[in-house]
Parts: sequence; C-alpha cells; structure tokens
Amino acid sequence: MEKDGFFNNEGNWNSIFGMGMGMEMESQVSELNWDNPMDQSDPFESALSSIVSSPVNSHPGIPNSGGENVVLKELVGRLGIICNSGEISPQSCIGKNNSTNTSCYNTPLNSPPKIHGNSIPRNHQLPPALFPADPGFVERAARLSCFGMKESAFKTAEFPIAIPASDKKLDDSMEESSLSEQISNGETGIKGQITYSNDRKRKAIPKGKGKESQSSTLSAKVNKTVGGPEKEVSDAKRSKLDEERNGIGKEKEEGNQKQTKENAKPEPPKDYIHVRARRGQATDSHSLAERVRREKISERMKFLQDLVPGCNKVTGKAVMLDEIITYVQSLQKQVEFLSMKLATINPRTDMNMEAVLSKDTQASMLNTMNHLDALAQPFYATAHDGPGNPLTAMMHCGPNMKSSQIDGFGEASLFWGNDLQSVVQTGFSQNQGPSFHGTMGTGQMKVEL
Amino acid sequence: MSPSQQPTSTNPSSLKNQFAHRFIRALKTLNHTKTGAAHDHNQMYRRSIRVKIASYTAMASVVGSRRAWSRAVLWKIIKRSRNQGLLLRKRKRRNPNPKREDFNPFRNSGQELKLRKLVPGAETMDSWCLMGETADYIKCLVAQVEVMKTLVDLYSIT
Repeated sequence: MEKDGFFNNEGNWNSIFGMGMGMEMESQVSELNWDNPMDQSDPFESALSSIVSSPVNSHPGIPNSGGENVVLKELVGRLGIICNSGEISPQSCIGKNNSTNTSCYNTPLNSPPKIHGNSIPRNHQLPPALFPADPGFVERAARLSCFGMKESAFKTAEFPIAIPASDKKLDDSMEESSLSEQISNGETGIKGQITYSNDRKRKAIPKGKGKESQSSTLSAKVNKTVGGPEKEVSDAKRSKLDEERNGIGKEKEEGNQKQTKENAKPEPPKDYIHVRARRGQATDSHSLAERVRREKISERMKFLQDLVPGCNKVTGKAVMLDEIITYVQSLQKQVEFLSMKLATINPRTDMNMEAVLSKDTQASMLNTMNHLDALAQPFYATAHDGPGNPLTAMMHCGPNMKSSQIDGFGEASLFWGNDLQSVVQTGFSQNQGPSFHGTMGTGQMKVEL
Repeated sequence: MSPSQQPTSTNPSSLKNQFAHRFIRALKTLNHTKTGAAHDHNQMYRRSIRVKIASYTAMASVVGSRRAWSRAVLWKIIKRSRNQGLLLRKRKRRNPNPKREDFNPFRNSGQELKLRKLVPGAETMDSWCLMGETADYIKCLVAQVEVMKTLVDLYSIT
C-alpha cells in the first residue's frame, strides 16, 4: 500500500509531510511567495568564476579591453591573425576538407613573424571567408574560451589530445591534431616561443604517434608559456564523439551552432569538458570521462566535508556518504522535534508575534543585541553543564551572535530536557538515544492507527 | 575553490532572516486558524506536523526555484493541497536533462539511494548534481534548525 510507502519514516523525505493537510497548506504556500532572485550564483560557480576571472585579467601581452569578452576577443583576434597572415590561398581552402588542412600546415610557420608586425584585430565576428578550414575551426576557436568545469582544466594542461589514429580515421585525427596544433602553435608564437617545437610537433604528427610524446613536449612548453587556463584548445570530447559518429558532418553542425552562439553572447559553460589525458594514464574516451566525473564528485565531497561537522578526518566516499546520511537524518529529526516544541509552546504566546519577529531579525543582524541580552540574562544564573556541549557548535551563527548568546542557548538546551539533549548530542555522531525513539515513536504510532 | 567562502546570494544570515519572516507569518496563520488550545495529544501532534510542514515550506520558498529540492518540496505541497487529503501517487519526475556521461553503475544501490531518498527531488539526478543538492539542503536545514531553536527560546521566555 502506498500508506506504507508514505509512512516509512526511516530515510524518506516524503514522510515529512505526513498525512494530507488540506487547505491550510495551500494558504501558507500562497502567502509564501515564490522567490526568484536574479543571480544564479552557486558556491561552486561563483568560486569558479572568480578563479577564472583572475587569470584572465592577468594575461600578459594582450591589452586588457575589459569586460567579460576579453578572453574571447583576444583569442578570436589571434585566430584572425593566423587566418589573415596565412595568405597561402585561404580562398581555396574554403569548402574543402582534407586538402585545406595540408595547406594550413604551413601557416603556423609564417604566422609568428608576421604577428609582431600586425596589430591584433579585434574580431567579434569571424568572417567565415577567411577561415581556411570548415567551421570545425571556428568551433575550436569557440572552445578556446570555454569556461566549463575549470577545475579539471587546472589539473591538466589544456591542449589537444592527439588521438591514436585508427586506420580508418587516420585523416580525421591528423587533421584535428594538426588544426589544434596550429592554434596552439600560433599562440605560442605570439608569446615569442620559437618554432623549433613546432617542427618537432609537426614531424610527430604524420607518423600518427601516440600522444605521449606530444603531450610531454606540449605540456613542457605550454605549462611555461600558457599563463592561464583561459585558453582551452582541446577537443577531446568532440573528437571522441567524432569517432563515434563519423566525424566531419557532425563537426559542421556543431561549428555552425557554436559560431552563432559565440557571436550572440559570451561563452556559456558548455556541455563538453575539455580534458587532457595525463601522462601515463589511459587515453580511452570512456576512462577520461570517468576520471572527470570522479574528480567532479570528489570536489563536491570535499565541500560537503566542510559542511558536515566532524568529517575532517574521514576519507573515502563510502564513509563520507554514511556521515552525510546520518547528518541529514539527524537534522530532519531535529526539525521535527523543534516543530513539536513550537506547537506546544505557541498557543500561549500568540500575541507577541510582531515583537518576536522584530527581535528575531535584530538578533541575526549586527545592530542591536540589547533585547536578546535582556532575554539571555536568566540563562546565566543557571549552572553551566559540561564544556563539550555540541549545541555551542551548532549554534554558531557566524560573527553576528555574541559568544554570550551562544552560551545562553547552550544552557537553554538543559531546559528542554533530556530529549533534545540526546537529539542534539547524537545528531553529530552515531545512533539516536532510546529516549528519543520513545517520544517520537508513540506520537507516530497514534497517527498510523 | 575555497569551500569556506560564503556564497553571495544564499548568505546564511539572510537565509535565516527570510526564513524567520516567512515561518513566523505561517505560524501566525496557524495560530489564528486553530484557536482552541488543543490539549488532546492527537491534535497536538497534528499541529506539530503542520508546524513542521510550514517550516519546510518556508525554507523552500526562500530558496525558491533555484534548487531542485526546493522545487520538489513546493510542488509536493501544492499537489497535496490541491488533492485535499487524497492519497497521492508517488510520481517520479523524469530527469529533464539526462546527461550523456552518466556512467555511474552504483546509482540505485547502497548509500546513494539512501541519500536520494533523504534529499527531496534527488531521485532522478546524477551523482554530481546530487552532491550539490545535498550541500545546499544541508546548509538550509542547518539554518532552519537554528532559527527554530531561537524561536523556541524566545517563545519559552516571553
């Protein structure tokens, strides 16, 4: 029966709502208006954006044009340079696929010396006629300023993965790696790096080598030159998809979409996560995705470790999950208990609502603590219990509350009797006391009967 | 990323403020509708259930539609009030954005399943989103508990 499912109190959030409560809830809900704040910031995303913005601003060599588009503009500008300076029949490259890439091999050599002479154009919209390759190149340009999932970018160098060329996909992989190489080479060229590395890389490419050599050279050079993670050139995900979906047609679609997106607004975080396989690790697309996923989850586990008290020494996902589950359950039980307290206390004091509200809001603000100090006076007279009261840690309301207030609340717990004490104390560690089960159990049984 | 840094939009003190406002308003209406001081245990228990639902609803409405768990809570409340006490079917909402790279084989087993049951609206999420929702849910629960404790203290004094 569904009743059993509903009243299965152990570990089901549906049990919070108990039986149907009728019209009262709807009135309460209508009172509580939907709150739609404009900013969507999230601890992760705000932190990520702050990290991202700092290297963006400190990027050397490019005059800071300000705003959020600076990274995109400069990279697009650089690509424009490459395209503009690559005057080796750019027009003929349009519309062709494989042949374009072979001709574009030569452009990186020519681009570095010419770049210093040219002024860096600020191209917001890349004229498609200048691009030597198909819109796949544009797509890579769009990906240069991908802001998605920066933490993986921090750990790995952001450069292309040269896919170990399978036989039938040899041309594709070479073309992709060559184009990616171009971009990377162009950028290193702008920074003044010499073309010796370019030669080495390009010699490695036609052999269809595995990425280890390239990764080592690239990472060695790139980690020195590329100051920040704002340039992500790798197409790992996209290239994997290409292997699966037979490549170039898909590229074109994505390229078109990406170009329109890029022209429309600053880069939103993409679905793709640009990963670089670390040296000595598996390069399989699935394992890469797995690793990215695991890293993301471990990041969040660390964040959760800070939220859940007493989990600093816990390592490992399983134990951590146990702790989290216990903590959430204890918090929900505390809410239940406190609501019961409020229900019993409330009818006596329904005249002081506004006063209570004003006091409460003042309590949580820095301004006046006088009212609550007066209220907290009677607590000081009572004997203080053991020092290790977890309630004090629980009642840490940030810098707003004075320590006296916290102590007052700590002693208030004594007033509430053994029930709440056991609830609070066990809320941080293991199981719940038998007394607690006794009080709540009887109440619940009444409902079920 | 520094986990100790406080997010700007869901500042804990502002969260507590807003929650306190809404919760006290809800308690006021509760008190006005049910005037008779119920010494009967059953009525007291029902009243406590209503207070509990009011607190969760208040917190969920403060968070708004930003989070999946708050949406799930509010949706459930609205549905229940519409159905007026009829039994609701437990309806699993489909994940609107199924990620392609959800390789987790342990999704519906073990501890993650427990966590999914605890956190509202987290049944059809992938693991990464689940962690994020859990973090936000814990933060809001902590704020909720603190405000309610403060309220109990204030009520017991005055």
